[in-house]
Amino acid sequence: MRVLLVDDEVELVSAMAERLGYRGLDADWTDNGEDAIRMAAETEYAVAVLDMKMPRMGGLELREKLAFHHPGMRFIFLSGHGSESDFKAGCAAGCSYLIKPIQLEDLVDMIREVVGEELS
Amino acid sequence: MSQATVPAREGLKFFGRVSASVSHEIKNVFAVINEAAGLIEDFTLMAERGMPLKPERLKSAANAIQGQIRRGDTIVKNMNAFAHSTDEDVREVNLAELLGLTVALANRLADMKQIRLTAGDCEPVSLAADSFDLMLLLHSSIAAALDALSAGDTLAVGVKPENGGASFSLSSPGKDAPLANDEAFAQFARSMGADVGVDEDNRASVLRIQPTARPE
Repeated sequence: MRVLLVDDEVELVSAMAERLGYRGLDADWTDNGEDAIRMAAETEYAVAVLDMKMPRMGGLELREKLAFHHPGMRFIFLSGHGSESDFKAGCAAGCSYLIKPIQLEDLVDMIREVVGEELS
Repeated sequence: MSQATVPAREGLKFFGRVSASVSHEIKNVFAVINEAAGLIEDFTLMAERGMPLKPERLKSAANAIQGQIRRGDTIVKNMNAFAHSTDEDVREVNLAELLGLTVALANRLADMKQIRLTAGDCEPVSLAADSFDLMLLLHSSIAAALDALSAGDTLAVGVKPENGGASFSLSSPGKDAPLANDEAFAQFARSMGADVGVDEDNRASVLRIQPTARPE
């Protein structure tokens, strides 16, 4: 299973990708929505983990674009506490999200949950 | 600026906007530190299982933590200076310092629009003013200017003495004065006793202020 991580904090998203790799999840990362759309066109990702607040294209807008071209893709949002209310206003019930800073094991569990895998 | 003061609710909303932006930045700082520390923990767990530790990877994670602590320290220092701007109603204000702080506090706003925000030419000038109200005015003018610009643009804000008061200039290379057509903002500035105009020579928006009378 491949995972796409998108967050404009490069040190954050690169470390998360590396740590997910140690847990058996292949993760690619980028710091912007435009590259994420390009990467998703070339590689099949089961799950995209999106930061809510990013320059130019925020997480909700990026989800719309990715979901249009990749209907099977699942989404998890990362939110700072300041953007949690924006998130709730803009996202349908049932969306999965974690508040930064996250515990990586929580993200791993959530990734497996959204793709319907048994939790290990 | 004149003695006109900002309505309390406007001031509170401004304080809230800045605090929300600052707390969001601090959350990001914590999140990066959290992942870098997590990486170090992962390395040590792998070392316990016999995998050799790579010193350069440890060093890189430690550097990330130190860099974020410096970033967080600057953010908190700016927030502290901003909070202290309410200490006195009117005091002698160093406008170059106030401009630098306001630019720092507005940087996240600019980052989200992918606009480079800088303190431009600043001449030494100080005058009696309500520091908090002045920051509200300047921050609002920067926000209005950012709304008029596009991703990839630069917004430079400077200050100089003028006719016993001071003027702030907002300019973007290759662009028209970024506040020229913003009537809504001009109205707000006038309500605070400031004047919004255009410097035709350098196509900059100009925000002119006069000293505030000190209370008896």
